[in-house]
Amino acid sequence: MAAPAMPRRYGAVNWRGLWALCLKDLHRAYKSFRYSVLGPVVSNLLFLAIFAVARGSGAYVGDLTFLQFLVPGLVIFAVCETAYSTSSESLLFDKMEGMIADTLMAPLTPTELTIGYACSSAATGLLTGAAVALPMLLVVPLPIASLPLLLFFAAGGAFMHGLLGILVGLWAERWDHHSAALTFIVIPFGYLSGTFYSVASLPALAESVARVNPVFYVIDGFRAASTGHAESPPLVGMVVVALVVLGLGVCARRLFRIGYKLKP
Amino acid sequence: MPRYPTAVPAMPQVRRFGAINWVGLWTLYHKEVRRFVKVATQTLLAPLVTTLLYLAIFVLAIGDPAHKIGDVPFRAFLAPGLIMMAMVQNAFANTSSSIMIAKIQGNIVDTLMPPLSPGELTCGFALGGVTRGLAVGLVMWGALTLLLPAAVHNILFVLFHAVAASLMLSLLGIVGGIWAEKFDHLAAVTNFIITPFAFLSGTFYSIGGLPAFWYGVAHLNPFFYMIDGFRYGFTGHADGSLTAGLIVLTVVNLLLWALVYRMFARGYRLKA
Repeated sequence: MAAPAMPRRYGAVNWRGLWALCLKDLHRAYKSFRYSVLGPVVSNLLFLAIFAVARGSGAYVGDLTFLQFLVPGLVIFAVCETAYSTSSESLLFDKMEGMIADTLMAPLTPTELTIGYACSSAATGLLTGAAVALPMLLVVPLPIASLPLLLFFAAGGAFMHGLLGILVGLWAERWDHHSAALTFIVIPFGYLSGTFYSVASLPALAESVARVNPVFYVIDGFRAASTGHAESPPLVGMVVVALVVLGLGVCARRLFRIGYKLKP
Repeated sequence: MPRYPTAVPAMPQVRRFGAINWVGLWTLYHKEVRRFVKVATQTLLAPLVTTLLYLAIFVLAIGDPAHKIGDVPFRAFLAPGLIMMAMVQNAFANTSSSIMIAKIQGNIVDTLMPPLSPGELTCGFALGGVTRGLAVGLVMWGALTLLLPAAVHNILFVLFHAVAASLMLSLLGIVGGIWAEKFDHLAAVTNFIITPFAFLSGTFYSIGGLPAFWYGVAHLNPFFYMIDGFRYGFTGHADGSLTAGLIVLTVVNLLLWALVYRMFARGYRLKA
């Protein structure tokens, strides 16, 4: 007589479930590769071309030309924007199609859900960033001043926006909400925090506002790790980014735990 | 006393209309306009925020208030380009998304079944897109005049190019919406065709600054003429020939109109 089926056992962490959750969104990004990866590549190359023609190649800040200043900003912002879209679109799509139940029914703790969504969106963001960076580096060669810092700030920006995407994805009820958060929050925060210009060129008040914005530290830290030109102390940037990621992670975990807009 | 009323109601008659079904045309146009007015946050406010962001970025990154193109200050040069870019993107989005969503949800039949001729369909959709383009343009112009010197040099050029550009992109949007089978196709058209053409046509720079080869290429791009002529209407500064622009825009619009008419007449990807 066959032994009755036993419930599957796992230790403190359901590694297999976590891995499956991560793979789900990576597969989704891979399936819409042309749209989700090539789209940012083309639009960022367009920005580069426009600024190359409109701004010319004179010196900008320190010993950097404008294009050398611009490329790290474009790359890190592509990482952030893609990470945000990946988790936010995934959750909202699953909610609207009713498939979110498949994720909620699986034996995954709120922590595992948070980490799973954050990791897959961060990974998609970093891969897109690499795809955006490669053709640009052929035109504008850039050094890497510090590889560990480069990876830290790239991952920090990716996780920050991946977690933000979870919050928006849980809160949003329609596609309008998702694109409103993108148009009115994510893009302005990124664009106005030094993606395209040195915040030192801003009027004093606007500069201090920009310096309160955590996205500024992501962009500045990433640029400093590549070019060596920093507008804020790297240590401050690291602490701010780490704290914001942690804070967003705690919020996301709490929303999954109480089932905010997920469970009745 | 007869058990049943003897007076039989008159048979419903087939509705008659002349050469043009004005009621149907107006209904289609009205539907197209109400579609975007209902989500004004997405269709009017969002483009405004995006345009103001571009303005901030370019003014801050290019800096230098003394920077001039010809004898036009950079900011005055930039404003018409930004307005035009927002107009064309929204005109395209209006018609393409309307047809695409109707196809995916299956309610396109509600547009194909009524007694609307291909010409009336073309006209209704295209004018809806033109209305969205002009509405967005008006909002942008209102906001930018608060921030920038935006005196109008020649109102006729402004109006002609605003209408011609919105019409051209509305028609392109119809073509895209009918051709596309998935949202991915439409996103690809927007990302790889419309945005590059709009961005690289002298919105943000004078094509006089381009290398000789690209300078020639820019003259083949109809988007260049609509931005250039529109900018002439505001600043009195043109990079290319205005007459050539008027001819190119008129011809392109006529060709696109004929193409769209033919697509509706044949039912390309619309009827089995």
